[in-house]
Amino acid sequence: MISTSLSAPSGSRLLRSGFLMPAALVLIVAVLVVAPLVRILLSTLTPEGLDAWVAVLASPLSANLWWRPLLNTMVLGFSVAGGCLLIGGFLAWLVVLTDVPGRRFLGMMASLPYMIPSFAAALAWGTLFRNSRLGGSAGFFETNGLVIPDWLAWGLIPTAIVLIAHYYSLAYTIIAAALSSVGADLVEAGQMAGAKRPRIFFGIILPVVTPALIAAASLTFAGAVANFAAPALLGLPVRMQTLSTRLFGMIETGNNERGFVLALLLIAVSALFLFLSDRLVSGRKAFITVTGKGGRTKRFPLGAWRWPLFSLAVLIGLLTTVIPVLVLAASSLAPQSGALFSNWTLHFWIGEGGGEIAQGQAGIFRNPVLIDALWNTIRLGLVVAFTTMLLGLALAYTIVQRKGTLLATLLSQLAFLPLLVPSIAFAAAYIALFGAPIGPLPSLYGTFALLVIAASAHNLPFAVQSGRSVLGQISADIEESARLTGASLLRRLFAIIFPLAIRGLFAGAILVFVKMVRDLSLVVLLFTATSPVLSMVAYRYASEGFMQFANAITLVILVVCLAASFLAHILQNRVQKWKEQ
Amino acid sequence: MLKRLYSTALAACFILPVAAMADDLDGLTPEQLLPLAQKEGSVTVFSLSSRIAKIEKAFEEAYPGIDLIGLDMSSTKQIARVEAEQQAGVNAVDVLYIADTPVVFDKLLEEKRVVNYVPPRIAGELEDRYKAPLLTQRLSTKVLMYNEKAFPDGSPVTNLWQLTTPEWRGRVLMVDPSQRGELLDLLTEISLHPDEMAAAYKAEFGKDIEVEEGLQGAGEQFVKALIENDLIMLPNSDVLNKSIGDVNAKNPPVGFGTYSDRRDNEKEGWALQVANNVEPANGILFPAVLTIADKAPHPAAARLLIDFMFGDDTPTGGPGFEPFNVPGDYAVRKSIADHPDSVKLGELKAWTIDPAKTAAARGRIADLIITLQ
Repeated sequence: MISTSLSAPSGSRLLRSGFLMPAALVLIVAVLVVAPLVRILLSTLTPEGLDAWVAVLASPLSANLWWRPLLNTMVLGFSVAGGCLLIGGFLAWLVVLTDVPGRRFLGMMASLPYMIPSFAAALAWGTLFRNSRLGGSAGFFETNGLVIPDWLAWGLIPTAIVLIAHYYSLAYTIIAAALSSVGADLVEAGQMAGAKRPRIFFGIILPVVTPALIAAASLTFAGAVANFAAPALLGLPVRMQTLSTRLFGMIETGNNERGFVLALLLIAVSALFLFLSDRLVSGRKAFITVTGKGGRTKRFPLGAWRWPLFSLAVLIGLLTTVIPVLVLAASSLAPQSGALFSNWTLHFWIGEGGGEIAQGQAGIFRNPVLIDALWNTIRLGLVVAFTTMLLGLALAYTIVQRKGTLLATLLSQLAFLPLLVPSIAFAAAYIALFGAPIGPLPSLYGTFALLVIAASAHNLPFAVQSGRSVLGQISADIEESARLTGASLLRRLFAIIFPLAIRGLFAGAILVFVKMVRDLSLVVLLFTATSPVLSMVAYRYASEGFMQFANAITLVILVVCLAASFLAHILQNRVQKWKEQ
Repeated sequence: MLKRLYSTALAACFILPVAAMADDLDGLTPEQLLPLAQKEGSVTVFSLSSRIAKIEKAFEEAYPGIDLIGLDMSSTKQIARVEAEQQAGVNAVDVLYIADTPVVFDKLLEEKRVVNYVPPRIAGELEDRYKAPLLTQRLSTKVLMYNEKAFPDGSPVTNLWQLTTPEWRGRVLMVDPSQRGELLDLLTEISLHPDEMAAAYKAEFGKDIEVEEGLQGAGEQFVKALIENDLIMLPNSDVLNKSIGDVNAKNPPVGFGTYSDRRDNEKEGWALQVANNVEPANGILFPAVLTIADKAPHPAAARLLIDFMFGDDTPTGGPGFEPFNVPGDYAVRKSIADHPDSVKLGELKAWTIDPAKTAAARGRIADLIITLQ
């Protein structure tokens, strides 16, 4: 119906797809994102809620409840975003645009850390740097005679380092997707004009991928300020609180209103920064790189730097990927959580049970629930990744098409917010909103659909940000010509935009898939079936004190994520055949 | 006409008993509940413990025809979910097996989102404080723990006030009370015993305590002194147990933890032991409660399940209670014997929290902690 109104030569402009689609999107975003937020906002306008506003902003508590955590959170957010851009951008450049050896291997390593839960990196840090502050056994360095000061063992600095190690792969994924669409012709033009390499980099490549850099910075910033595990593990022992640890603590101790107030304030502050970064992008000229002509990628010869840079990349990979995976793997093999590298046993994977170990519980592969949970997890991850990307693509398309308009700014802001809403509040709002029948629509309580809708909304930022950064580079010429030949919007989407943007879209889909497969809070509140998902099985083991089983399942989740990203890679090469020629 | 009247009357026969049922159900024995529960066919329970899986098996064997659907989630999530569901008019869950009772008291019981039920079969066996305002099934602990290998002569701490002296500066651990309800409840309980804390102060330092302006009583003074003596706050109890309990540690710290974690000593290489001989108390006992959601869809099966989870008359409690019968946790039924390896309930020097009193006082203590952090 959208397409017919489009082909009318001089029909009412209001009815053109240019109006209908944004209107539909505004409606969808209003229902999916604004409604839960409004509900949370309303719950802070009750008498108790108003007390909470006062307590947070204007009381003797404010300093420790809001201002200091805010400062810590902002320092953390900016340093993590900066660090991630540096490391993720460097690796993306190396893998996509140079002739460094072992590019596929490096690319795979760089995309791994995001699939490993952030607590694994924090644990790995503890294994190495833990000092005597907590008593118990010291870390690797202190055991070997190096005294580790508190600032290196606990607090802001280790937290920032651990979060950079976790989130840089998110930046890598997005920047690499954008870089891969920098055509050879641009670079060759620069070379022919006699530009030196730094000039090509700063004059051509960097401006072209700026939208991707902004997208990566926003997502890593949001990830860092919303992360709970790392600041809790490394910050609490020196009483460093961030907004996320404060928020979690408030909800956990039954003080929901204060938690919601903190969440709303965090959203407001982050939205301000996002708005500024949006202005930064829309204030400059857009560069269009995907033109339909020669989409080959031009690789820089690194010359003598090939191997040193390769080694550097491998070193980063080793520190951020191999060590956390090793810690996880070791802890799934060691009967004692304090002695990770002794008495290894495969019991927690394939043991028959009934013996002395683990109170007679069998290994995870003998747990009949596991296979069920595996399928549930994959099904949920795939469906959510698909719906999220579909919605995200439509949103990103509209935002890019109407760049600079109020509508685009509004949509991009709203689509970004769900990342900052604590999942427990988000899920509760969804149950309250959609649990009751609305008009002719039946109650969605307990349905798979509700879970998918909530998860799609919650993961929307990944899809929109990664979609935007790639769509922004696609030339309007191609679409114009298709439009002139009478191709409908859907046709244009599937025949032109989708294949050109597929790398970015898959990058986003993988991020959503990974997030969904790992995420527990949202699922546990909305799930009603008894057959669980993997993260719930892991939680079940962990709550019984069997970290070995829980870590084994975390590794299974990692393998699932890896398989998914491998599959996406193959699909993408099939669609973009021209890249390989 | 006659036919319509007849069918209305017939319908009334079905509706009336249902309406009257909820109250009557409370007095029924398990045998009387069973046929009603079987007609209902299933029962859904939110459980704080994943051991509900074992209960599921045992319950379905004992009472065939009733499908137990157990979902394990933390107390906080249970509360959030029940609130949201009932606001949407959804009544899907029957039974909550939940701790965090001060919050349950405030958010669920006061709001009439749950109703208390005491199975008549065991009512006579329980002390009154375990029957109201909510039915307690068992008691867990947050008590002072030390390393019995490093301190073979017994606990190095015999009075809580010692923890505020320079000797223990930076050597007392606790999961952050602004992150975890149980620890907040512990500090709240201490503040609710100002006289005993004042007496313990005098016993330790030989003089009367002076309480600063703005603080209420010796208990709050202790909370302040403890936090200012570089109390180390941790994210979770794994880190706590490792730090206190490590068998190889020299001069390890002490801390407030869970007594029943001692059962993992051998498995994990810990030497955790409870410091019981502590003035005026070594910590708190707090309840895990069983309660029925308002307008539960399966009221008879819900009552049957709660009855079942109090176990049979054997000393271990049988299949209905055994999964929860671990050393360091305590059954409230007198017929179930305390675990032979642990201090008896009557001898444990811990205060038992009263959810209603704690709920009223914990906001103030939470604020105090935040200002001191």
